[in-house]
Amino acid sequence: MTTVAPLRTPAAAAPAAGVARTKRRDWAGYAFLSPALLLFLVFILGPFLAAIVLAFFSWDMLTPATFNGVGNFTEMFSDPLLYKALANTFVFALASVVSHVAGGLLLALAVNKVMSRVLSYFVRTALFFPFVISWAAVALLWKYVLDPTFGIFTYYFDKIGFQAPGWFTDPAWALPAIIGIDWWHTIGFTFVIMLAGLQTVPQQLVEAARVDGASPRQIFWYVTIPMMSPTIFFASVITFIGAFQIFDPVQIITPQGGPDDSTVTVVMYLYQKGFESFQVGYASAVSLLVFVVMMAVTMLQFWGSRKWVHQQ
Amino acid sequence: MDATTPAHFTRRSALRMTAAAAAAVPAASALAACGDSGGSGGGAATGELSLVYLGDATQQKSFNALFEQFNQVHPKIQIKARGIAAKDWATFANTVSTQIAGGKVPDIVQVATEGQRLFASKGLLLPLDPYLKRDKKAVDAYFADVDPKLKRWTEKYGSTDGRTYYVPGGYNTVCLYLNTDLFKKAGVDLPGDEWTWEDFRRAGLQIKEKTGAFMLPVNYVNPFLDLMPWLLTNGTSTLNAAWDKGTFDSPEAAEAATFVKSLIDDGLSPKPGGTFDGPSQYAKGKLAALAGGRWTTVDMRRIKMVGKTHIVSWPVHKGHGSPVGWDGWPILKASKKKDAAWTFLKWLMTKDASDFYAKIGGTTVPARKSVAASASFTTDAPKGTEELPKAITYGTPIPSPNQGAQVQAAIMKGWQAAITGTKPVAEALTAANTELSGLL
Repeated sequence: MTTVAPLRTPAAAAPAAGVARTKRRDWAGYAFLSPALLLFLVFILGPFLAAIVLAFFSWDMLTPATFNGVGNFTEMFSDPLLYKALANTFVFALASVVSHVAGGLLLALAVNKVMSRVLSYFVRTALFFPFVISWAAVALLWKYVLDPTFGIFTYYFDKIGFQAPGWFTDPAWALPAIIGIDWWHTIGFTFVIMLAGLQTVPQQLVEAARVDGASPRQIFWYVTIPMMSPTIFFASVITFIGAFQIFDPVQIITPQGGPDDSTVTVVMYLYQKGFESFQVGYASAVSLLVFVVMMAVTMLQFWGSRKWVHQQ
Repeated sequence: MDATTPAHFTRRSALRMTAAAAAAVPAASALAACGDSGGSGGGAATGELSLVYLGDATQQKSFNALFEQFNQVHPKIQIKARGIAAKDWATFANTVSTQIAGGKVPDIVQVATEGQRLFASKGLLLPLDPYLKRDKKAVDAYFADVDPKLKRWTEKYGSTDGRTYYVPGGYNTVCLYLNTDLFKKAGVDLPGDEWTWEDFRRAGLQIKEKTGAFMLPVNYVNPFLDLMPWLLTNGTSTLNAAWDKGTFDSPEAAEAATFVKSLIDDGLSPKPGGTFDGPSQYAKGKLAALAGGRWTTVDMRRIKMVGKTHIVSWPVHKGHGSPVGWDGWPILKASKKKDAAWTFLKWLMTKDASDFYAKIGGTTVPARKSVAASASFTTDAPKGTEELPKAITYGTPIPSPNQGAQVQAAIMKGWQAAITGTKPVAEALTAANTELSGLL
C-alpha cells in the first residue's frame, strides 16, 4: 500500500513533530515507570483496596464471604485483646522512638569525635552490622543469649549472685526484652542517619558560637540540635512507622503473644486473626485501624514539627 | 500414612494448622462446585494425581518410594507429591489454601486430626461412603486389622454430618524415650509399666544428683507433648469428649500443672521458654527422657541412640493415658480425578502399602495392627517400641474442635502461666478455661 504524506507548511509541521516527540517521550516515561507502577498496583494499592472491601465482609477463606456491614468495626470496640495489642504497640513504638533517637544521636556524637579514621570506620561498621542481619537470625540469636537455663545473661547474672528474670516468660520482662533486642538490631540505621545529619552542621556556626564564648553544652543545645532537628524529625517518623509495624521478632520469639499477652502487637494480632483464626474480614478491619493510627500519628508529628524543627 | 508429626515440631500448632489445612482450600469452595457431591464414579480413573503433604525433601524421598510401589500395581496412575516444608500445620494449611486459591487444587491432602473436623465442616471434601460401600471387601479387610477406636474416632470427629470423609492412616501416641546409659549411670532401674509420677520424680532427682542431667524438658509449646500426657494420666483433658465444653479448670488439671511446675522448680527440667534442644542434649547424656511418638524414633536413628534407648509408657497418677493423633486421607470435592484418587487411598489401606511405608521409615505407627507388630515396624527401633501402638488402647484423641487454633492458644497460654509461675495455677487454668469456653 502506498501512502501519500499530506502537504504541510513548515510552520504547521514543526508543532506536529513536537507533539509526536512529546508523546514518544511520554510513552518512554510510562515504560520506565511501569515496573514500579505494576509492583505498586499489585502489592500495595490492590491489597489496600481489597482490605477496605474485605473489612465489610465475614470471610474464613474456606467458604464464600458474606456482607457484614460495619460489624467488624463495631466488634473492634469490644475486643479487649485488641486494646491490649494497641497498648503494647504504643509502648513499644514510644520506647523505640525515644531510645533510637537518643541512642543514635549519642552514638553519632561519640563516633564523630573519634579522631582516628580507621577506628571511626570500624565503629561505624560494627554499629551498623546488626542491621543487615535478618530478623529471623537476630531473634534466634537472642533466644540463645537470653535462654533461661543456658543463656550468657543467665550465666553472668548467676555469677554475680542474681537470678536472671524469665525474659520471655515473665509478663513484666517480655516486652522490655523485645524492645532491647529491637534496639540492638536497628540502632545502626538511626546512628547512620544521625551521623550524616551531624556532619552537615555548618562548622562556621559552631566556630562562631565558640568565638562568642559559648560552652560545648551551649553549642550542642543551641547550634547542633537546632541544625540537626530535620534529621531528628526524619528519624523519629521513620522509627515510629517501623516500630508500629513490629512483627518478626515477637512472632519468632513469643509466637503465642508472650506471657499474659504481654508481647502481642497489633500487626501480630491481625496476623493471628487473619491466618490462624481465619477471620479475614476482621483482620482487614484491624489493618485499616493500623493504617489510620499510623497516618494520624505521622500527621501529628508533622504538625508538631513546625514548632521545633529548624527549617533553613 | 505420612508423617503427621515431623521430628521436633509434631502437632504443636496442629489446631492452628487444622484451620490452616482447611484454609488450604479457600477457593476450593468455589471450585467445589465443579465436583460431584459424593459417590463413586466421578472423575477419571487414570492420570496424574496431586497430593499435598507436610514435609520436606526427606519425606519426598519416602513418598516417591511409596508411589513407585503403588505404580507397580497401578501403572496408569501417576502421583505427584508436593511437600510443603512448613514449620507447623497452620503454616502448611495456609500455604495449601493459598495454592488452591491460585487454582492449584490438589486431589488429596494429608490432614492431621487437628484439621479433620474443620475441613469436613466446610464442605470441601468428597463423602467417601459410596466408595467404601463399593469396595467393601477391601475396606472391611483393612478395618479388621485396625484398632476399632481409630475407625470410630474418624467417624465421630472427622465429620459433622454423619458421612465419612477420611480414610484413617497412621497415628501417633506419646510415650517416654529413656536414655538407658544415664539410668544405669545413676543407678536407677528402668521403670515398669505402672510407674507413677512420684516414681518419675524420684528417678529424676537421683539422675540429677548422680549425673547432673535433666530428667525431661517440660514446656508450653506443643499440647500433644507438653500438656496432654500429664492431663490424661491424671484422668482429665482440656475439653470434654464431645469437644464442646472446657474442662481445663478441673482439680485434676490443676494437680497436673502443679506437678509439672514442681519439676521445673526442682531443676528436673530446663526452664521452659528457652532454646533447649532435646535430642542433642539426650545424645550428649545431659537429658534422661524425651517425650515423643514414632517420629522420635527417627530422631533416635539420626542421633544414633536407638541402642541406648528404651521406650516406656507415660508415668501414671490416676491411670494410663496418651493423646492420639492420626492422619486422615480425604479426596477433595473439586478433584477431577476422584476415581484415581480413591484407587490410591484404597491401595494405602492394603497390607503391602502399610508394610512398605513402615519399612522406609514412616513417622507414624501403622494403622494396621499386624504391621505395627511386625519386624517392618520394630526393626532399627528402640526396645519397648511396642508401647507406641499399645498406647492407642488407652489413648484419647487430641481435642480438635473447629476453633482449634484459638482454643489451643488459650490453653497453652494458661499452661504457660501455670507452670512458669506467673500466675497461681488454679487462677491461670480457670482464666484459660473461661476463654476457651467462650470460643466453643
